[in-house]
Amino acid sequence: MRVLLVAALFLCASAAAASKPPLDTLGIPPQDEAYYGGGVIKCRDGSGKFSRDQLNDDFCDCPDGTDEPGTSACPEGKFYCKNAGHTPITIFSSRVNDGICDCCDGSDEYDSNVTCKNTCWEAGKAARDKLKKKIATYKSGVVIRNKEVERAKEAFAKDETELAKLKGEEKILKGLVDKLKEQKRLIEKAEEEERLKKEEEKRIKEEAEKKATVEKEAQDASHEVGSKETDPPVKEDESKVAEQHDGHATDHVPESGISDEQHGSESQDDSGIVDELPLKESAPTLEQDPSSDNPEGLSREELGRIVASRWTGESVNDVSKDNKKGHEDDHEIPEPAEAAVEDELEIPEPAEENYGSYHSDVEDDRHKYDDEDFDHESEDEYVDDHDDHVESYKSDDDQKGEHHSDLTASEHSSWLDKIHQTVQNVLQKFNFFKTPVDLSEASRVRKEYDDASSKLSKIQSKISTLTEKLKQDFGKDKEFYSFYDQCFETKEGKYTYKVCAYKKATQAEGHSSTNLGRWDKFEESYRVMQFSNGDKCWNGPDRSLKVRLRCGLSNELNDVDEPSRCEYVAVLSTPALCIEDKLKELQNKLDAMSSKQPGHDEL
Amino acid sequence: MDPPPRRLAAAQLLLLLLLAAASPAAHAWKKDEFRNCNQTPFCKRARTRAPHSLDAPLSLAADSLAVSPDGSISAELSHPSRPRPLVLRLSALPPHALRLQIDEDYSTATPPHRRFHVPDVLLPDLEARTLHLPEPKTADGVSTVALSSDFDVVVKHDPFELTVRRAGSGDPVLSFNSHGLFDFEPLRESKPEDETWEEHFRSHTDKRPRGPQSITFDVSFYGADFVYGLPEHGSTSLALRPTRGPGVEESEPYRLFNLDVFEYLHESPFGLYGSIPFMIGHGAHGSSGFFWLNAAEMQIDVLAPGWDEATAPENGRVDTLWMAEAGVVDAFFFVGSEPKDVVKQYVSVTGTPAMPQQFATAYHQCRWNYRDEADVDGVDAGFDEHDIPYDVLWLDIEHTDGKRYFTWDHSAFPNPEEMQRKIADKGRKMVTIVDPHIKRDSSFHLHQEATDKGYYVKDANGNDYDGWCWPGSSSYPDMLNPEIREWWADKFSYESYKGSTPTLYIWNDMNEPSVFNGPEVTMPRDALHYGDVEHRELHNAYGYYFHMATADGLLKRGEGKDRPFVLSRAFFAGSQRYGAVWTGDNSADWDHLKSSIPMVLTLGLTGLPFSGADVGGFFGNPEPDLLVRWYQVGAFYPFFRGHAHHDTKRREPWLFGERRTAIIREAIHVRYSLLPYFYTLFREASVTGIPVMRPLWLEFPGDKETYNNGEAFMVGPSLLAQGIYEDGQKSVSVYLPGKESWYDLRNGSPYKGSVSHKLQVVEDSIPSFQRGGTIVPRKDRFRRSSTQMVNDPYTLVIALNSSNAAEGELYVDDGKSYDYQQGGFIHRRFVFADNKLTSLNIAPDNLGKKFTSDCVIERIIILGLRSGAKKAIIEPGNEEVGIESGPISLRSGSSPVAPTIRRPNVRIADDWTIRIA
Repeated sequence: MRVLLVAALFLCASAAAASKPPLDTLGIPPQDEAYYGGGVIKCRDGSGKFSRDQLNDDFCDCPDGTDEPGTSACPEGKFYCKNAGHTPITIFSSRVNDGICDCCDGSDEYDSNVTCKNTCWEAGKAARDKLKKKIATYKSGVVIRNKEVERAKEAFAKDETELAKLKGEEKILKGLVDKLKEQKRLIEKAEEEERLKKEEEKRIKEEAEKKATVEKEAQDASHEVGSKETDPPVKEDESKVAEQHDGHATDHVPESGISDEQHGSESQDDSGIVDELPLKESAPTLEQDPSSDNPEGLSREELGRIVASRWTGESVNDVSKDNKKGHEDDHEIPEPAEAAVEDELEIPEPAEENYGSYHSDVEDDRHKYDDEDFDHESEDEYVDDHDDHVESYKSDDDQKGEHHSDLTASEHSSWLDKIHQTVQNVLQKFNFFKTPVDLSEASRVRKEYDDASSKLSKIQSKISTLTEKLKQDFGKDKEFYSFYDQCFETKEGKYTYKVCAYKKATQAEGHSSTNLGRWDKFEESYRVMQFSNGDKCWNGPDRSLKVRLRCGLSNELNDVDEPSRCEYVAVLSTPALCIEDKLKELQNKLDAMSSKQPGHDEL
Repeated sequence: MDPPPRRLAAAQLLLLLLLAAASPAAHAWKKDEFRNCNQTPFCKRARTRAPHSLDAPLSLAADSLAVSPDGSISAELSHPSRPRPLVLRLSALPPHALRLQIDEDYSTATPPHRRFHVPDVLLPDLEARTLHLPEPKTADGVSTVALSSDFDVVVKHDPFELTVRRAGSGDPVLSFNSHGLFDFEPLRESKPEDETWEEHFRSHTDKRPRGPQSITFDVSFYGADFVYGLPEHGSTSLALRPTRGPGVEESEPYRLFNLDVFEYLHESPFGLYGSIPFMIGHGAHGSSGFFWLNAAEMQIDVLAPGWDEATAPENGRVDTLWMAEAGVVDAFFFVGSEPKDVVKQYVSVTGTPAMPQQFATAYHQCRWNYRDEADVDGVDAGFDEHDIPYDVLWLDIEHTDGKRYFTWDHSAFPNPEEMQRKIADKGRKMVTIVDPHIKRDSSFHLHQEATDKGYYVKDANGNDYDGWCWPGSSSYPDMLNPEIREWWADKFSYESYKGSTPTLYIWNDMNEPSVFNGPEVTMPRDALHYGDVEHRELHNAYGYYFHMATADGLLKRGEGKDRPFVLSRAFFAGSQRYGAVWTGDNSADWDHLKSSIPMVLTLGLTGLPFSGADVGGFFGNPEPDLLVRWYQVGAFYPFFRGHAHHDTKRREPWLFGERRTAIIREAIHVRYSLLPYFYTLFREASVTGIPVMRPLWLEFPGDKETYNNGEAFMVGPSLLAQGIYEDGQKSVSVYLPGKESWYDLRNGSPYKGSVSHKLQVVEDSIPSFQRGGTIVPRKDRFRRSSTQMVNDPYTLVIALNSSNAAEGELYVDDGKSYDYQQGGFIHRRFVFADNKLTSLNIAPDNLGKKFTSDCVIERIIILGLRSGAKKAIIEPGNEEVGIESGPISLRSGSSPVAPTIRRPNVRIADDWTIRIA
């Protein structure tokens, strides 16, 4: 009966728009009708009460709007439109009779100078069609998602197994390496003793010769030797710094008088930074210097250099030769150091007018790095000492997938056994008490040690990569597991956006790339991926990106936007968001919408 | 989108870090970029001169004194060592304003150039209104003329000195050259060999081909405790602080030179975007004003008592020193018994403020930049989603095609008309920016046309001046020329401005003019304008003419039926006739919030009632609490707009959590509910010039406590508010002037007058009060925009005084057209006395047009009513309505109550009386 009444009202409204609807139901949702049943009605906020004839009398008695659900009298009121044929909605009472049609049934404009057409049927149909499409997407999406979740679970289990295995191997290999190391130390000690003995003999001989010369001259000579001993390391550092500047920044430094001045006046902090670079570079050399086992060696320039170069140079060379990429090492060395500086200092973006001139240089550098990264990805074996010191996305990227291809279960036992066997042989063969040291035996021990420790660091690197991966948040059903090794790209205008979940997001224009943020976390119960602390904006915040996820049949990145300076948003369609519960919800909504259709038909 | 970062060497990296770390507020203002007085020869010369030490002091030739046929008095000023005498003219305007003009004598020995008289600022009927002065009485080298029955002008001949004094007591009010500092550098034929006329500042050279021509004089304000005015300067003080003298930290003089100042200081006498050379002196015994119509650079010293080392300073006299680089003396002396008299007289000379459209008095939402149509849609929808009203959405420079104004970036705004229509469907408007710099691009028709017609300002060599601004290389139309202003105005026609619609209004920015590569970021002083006028002579009025031409354009576009809305950054005396101004590129910090009040109050005192500061602060990101406080204060600014720099985070009102959204909504609601009151105040301003937002002493001229209160302000005669200007402030001291009580706007609690109250600071509002004895009309229903409120019923809030009486006004018209000029409006006075509220018509009868309204009063809240009456009788008709205890504000949660007449439903258009029974 009521339905008919309301329907009749629409006819009136659309015909004449003059007659007022019954005040006792106006704007009241069906579930609240009982509340308004009595003769005296309470304001919901408890501020007072009102009589039945004050209901919808266009005067606000309850500040919360209880007494005026159907008029605009109370600013905090809400008006319910039935919208038969579509979905009922509740609108702010500020919309009632304001001359703008808000409800598709036009019921909000019962006393204004506009005539609202009832568009609920058309709008409802369009909405239902849209909803149906969405449901269809969800249906297919749910299937895909379920498969993904299965796959993810398997992959996750596999990775866990892998990690356990690697840890086992690490333990064994570590034992072997320790043994070899001790062996090598002993050999070197023996060698060193031998050499010292020879030197001592030589020295005695030389001193005897020197005694023949005048004493003053002898002093001068010794002074010279002293300075020679301290000079070379400094030179080395300098050359390395120079090398780095050559490769990266030499052009920038003398660019403007201002920068020089500033440089001078701020030399305190400045030098701190500059010093850091050579320090970082030389650090591996010192740390890994085997002569730390051999303290006397440090006082001996010649020895120190030989030993150092053997360890640093040789091991780097070995790897690079194996990988046919020796020529790139020049770039590689400074990069981690620079990246570290970048991280610490949060480079602000330079003002364009002041620093525009080296823009292109910088882009070129970027280009080199990018290419380099690309090369790495194609390498099967890439383990570099630098990765032990500097963790970066790049190394994560570079090593992705390696552990599967390289260390399959059947293979690894054989290579491990082999090493084990070789080491045993070497250890047994070597005779410590033989003097002079058997050179071929010694070099064999060294080689075995090199090989084994290189393998060990490779395994450790894989363990750390895998551990890093497994501790990520992959969602309730691990539905985002496959995102770990994927990047999503889209082009908008001149920019290419690349979003790598768990890693970072970038905006690339030509060869230059801007970091829009490092992976931060999921937000809003896995509906948003947050990337934070990207490259700093000049006079602005660090760049950041929010990727809103929505259900779609494939992973597709779209609609990148920058609503605030340097705060980006994007949309990623993905089956991972096609959640069954949500599908049910949509279906219920459609059912609810469809069930209201007869209301229209009754007309 | 942003350019990518670069890899940097460590040293540069550090340099950048240091630059970035430097707080913008502390280091951004580039002091060195602007000339100080010492670097400005005319200022340095004048400022270092001791009183009465002039080489060639001017004296009045007694035999030259005569009354002209037009009723003015003329005389010659001369000194034997001067090449030519000067011509002096004294004239009077009702009720007792005196005008003093001094210029070269062009009739005798011809000066090489005509000095510049600023045209089109004074009202055209000024001469017609000139009073006939009586014959002066001369004795002992002193001539006296009666200015009115109340005031005399006394002219001392040698040296020349002029005093306006009270006729009865003989007390001086204002005087000119009492300290013998009046100098008028005569124009010279050619440069003497031993002089250099060129001036250099940084890399710029000013050829100064016409040599020195500055004018200096001292003006004394008697009986004044403080002086006010001279916008525009950043200041937290309402009164102008002395710039030198005993016990005063010497500062620069107040500089009037329109400049685009990047990240300006909230406290500095340096010049900002606009200049109004008008000063008001006020004290317990009276008020006076001095206005010097001169558009050249001006520097004004406010001198602390004892500065001249004379005898003990006279009680309540303020001396001032006025220095201008060029021009003539065209000065006005205004005297009155109270400050409103002075403001009214100033406005009677420079014009009454334009009556804004209703929408323009509501809330404006702006940002540099709403980037595209989707962004505009989204922001518009955001307001609706959060039930926050707004009336106008603004588009900054990025909406154009490469900063070519009158064009659209079609990739971002492919359908500007459709976009505006969608906004207009909700009763809202849009504003686009149109700046004076025109891109020098031969494919840009506007540039081509301006070039072909020779409409650009010329450089010193006579070529089109080429400066650098947003679009790059740019030229500037010569707005001094009326023909060029006509041409410019035509550019706003719908045919010419493609993509514009009737609901699009205009924003004039950068019209100081701002020139990025010019001296002091503006145009060189030796650039040439129409009529062989040097830029130095009209600089401060360039933006005014531009504003004028733009407003005329909108007037033409609407066929004279649609009131223009044009916001301008630069301004000059008279800008009030053309629209609104704002305080330019302020910063998002508490100090700028605080200084916005003295700045807006000062603009109001100098004739410009329609002004405001960017809510939130333009540069930088406001802390959310600051943003909230700014909305609460901004809701009372006459011009209420949120705006932000493009490097800042989004700050639309709903982005700071639900609680803050609710508080900001409430602040905006306060403005919308008071729109009928504001509109009534704008009406008053448009008739009398009395500002919308007023210093306390404008309403309480005798209360000394109020004289330098720059924290609290009146909105009209009835409301007082005070901002919260500190983060985390717990309590605030608010001085409530006058004898009557005040009622808290939110809860109706009464507070005693003439007392400083220490109040608890609350989060959801700033201290705001209604004065006992007033009636304020409100509309308490909120809509999407003011447009939908037109038919909504009114609430009257009556705050009774100690004699149980109150008065208030309501002005209503169609909100957009000029029909009100022919009487198309409703103007009522509500008077409550003897327990009766009466609505009286105060509109003049039969002016031609009629405006009526079916709007009724739905609620009358009576604060301070002591009787427990339960009913009221409406006459005529003898209808009985109930008086109940009703909520003061319609917000759930807090519902303090007051006696409320429920649904009297009397029409605002009718005469009626409601008697409390």
